[in-house]
Amino acid sequence: MLSIHNLVKHRGNQEILSGVSFKARPGRVTGFLGPNGAGKSSTLRILLGLDRATSGSALIDGVPFAELQNPLATVGAALDGFGAHRMRTGRAHLRWIARAAGLSRSRVEEVLELVGLTNAAGKRVGTYSLGMGRRLGMAAALLGDPKILVLDEPVNGLDPEGIRWIRTFLRERAASGKTVLLSSHLMGELTETVDDVVIINRGKIVADGTLEEVIDNHSTLEEAFFALTSKNAGAAV
Amino acid sequence: MRAFNAELSKLFSLPGIWLAFLIGTFAPPAIAALDSMAEKKDIIAGVSTRLSEVGFIGLALGVQGIIILGVLAVSSEYLTESSESGGGNQITTSLTAVSSRLHFLLAKAGAVTVISILLSIVAILTTVSVTNLILGEYAPVFETSKLIGVVCYWTFTALLAFGITILTKNGIIPLAVLIINSSVVTVSYLLTKVTKLAFYLPDLAGSDMFISDGFHTPFTGSLIMFAWVAVLLIVAGIVFHRRDVAS
Repeated sequence: MLSIHNLVKHRGNQEILSGVSFKARPGRVTGFLGPNGAGKSSTLRILLGLDRATSGSALIDGVPFAELQNPLATVGAALDGFGAHRMRTGRAHLRWIARAAGLSRSRVEEVLELVGLTNAAGKRVGTYSLGMGRRLGMAAALLGDPKILVLDEPVNGLDPEGIRWIRTFLRERAASGKTVLLSSHLMGELTETVDDVVIINRGKIVADGTLEEVIDNHSTLEEAFFALTSKNAGAAV
Repeated sequence: MRAFNAELSKLFSLPGIWLAFLIGTFAPPAIAALDSMAEKKDIIAGVSTRLSEVGFIGLALGVQGIIILGVLAVSSEYLTESSESGGGNQITTSLTAVSSRLHFLLAKAGAVTVISILLSIVAILTTVSVTNLILGEYAPVFETSKLIGVVCYWTFTALLAFGITILTKNGIIPLAVLIINSSVVTVSYLLTKVTKLAFYLPDLAGSDMFISDGFHTPFTGSLIMFAWVAVLLIVAGIVFHRRDVAS
C-alpha cells in the first residue's frame, strides 16, 4: 500500500506540488496521469526518497522509503531514464543491484529472461535502444520480487509488443495481490491496464477513483482527462 | 556490507577504473625508474642530495590513478546523457537499492578506501622493486613508516577527490584541478612562496608523511591531511543527505 498525504513541494519560489494526496492499493493497478510537468515524477521521486517534500508524507507500507529495511524486496522502481551507466553491460548493472539487495546471480538471469534482455545482457548499456533501456529498468525493478512496483512512464519508448507485454505483466502482478503504481501521459495505453486512476494537473489532484468513476459520463478516459485538466486550467487562470 | 559489496562490484565493472589501476600501478615505478637512472651516477659517487627521495617521487606523482578512482566513483553516478540514449543518472537506481543515504555514502567511501590501500601497496611493491633493480646496493632504504605514509597519502587523496566530486556532481572540474595540481603545476607549492599557510594545504601536508625534511613532521602532516579529509567528507555528507536527486 502506498499512501501519499498532503504532499507539498517547493523548488525555488515555484510550487510544484500543492497538497497531493492519494493511495495505491494492493491487488490493483493505479494509473497516475497528468500532462508533462504536472508533478507526476516529482511525486514519485518523493515517494522513493530521492527528493524531499517541503511538507506532507509519502509512505510505503506505513513507513517512509528511507526507513525500509530491505528496499528492493519492498518496492521496485523504474524511473525516467535507464538509471544505468552507459559503459557497464546490462548484466553487470543488474549484478551490482543484486549485490546491494543480497540476491543471487541466478536471479539476475531470471529477470533478464523475464524482460527479454538475455541476448543483449552482455552489451554495454550505452548501445541500448530506448525500449531496451526501459526493459533494463523493469528488470532492475523486478530483481527483489517486490510487493510494490512504482513505474514512471513504463510504456514510453516501447514497441507495440513491449507495451502489450507490460500490460499483461502488470495485470498479473496486481492479480497476485501486489501493488502497482504507474505514471503516464498516454491515456489510450492505460484504459486497458489500470483499475484506479489518479489525475494530477499543475501540482493538484483533480480526480481520484476507479476507472469507471473517473470516466463517469465521458465517453473515454481521454475525454475525461481533457475535461478535468482543462477545466482545472481554466479555474487557475 | 551488502552496499559495500555492491559498490566494489560497481567500481570493478567500470572500464574507467582500469585506467586508474593502470596509472596507479605503472606510473610510480616508471617515474622512479627514470629518476633512479638519472640520479644513479651521483648516487654511486655519493654526491646525490636526493637519495632519500628516489622512489618516493614516483609514489607522490602516481596519485593521479587514485584521483581518477575517487572522482569516478562519484561522477559515474551522476553521469547524464541525452534522453534518447537513456539519460544515465545511475544515482536514482543506487538510492532506490540502498534506502539510507548515509549507508550508501559510507559503503562507497569504504570501497574507495579499500581499493586505494590495495593499489598503493601494489605501487609501493613495484616502485621499491624497480628502484632496487636499478640502483642495486646503492638503493635507499625504504622505511616502513614512510611507506605507511604513502598508503595514507594515496587513500586520503582518493577520499578528497571523492568528497569534492560529491559536491560538484561532475567529474571534470575535480579531475582537472587535482591532476594538474599533482603533476603539471603544483599550485599549492607555488602558494608556499607567497604564504607559509600553504604548507597546511592537504597535498603538501600529506606529502610530509614520506618526503624527508618537510615543513611538518610526518605525524603532524598526516593529522593535517586527515583533518581536511574529515571536514570535507562531513560537509559532503551533509550536502548529499539533504540534496534532491532531481536538482
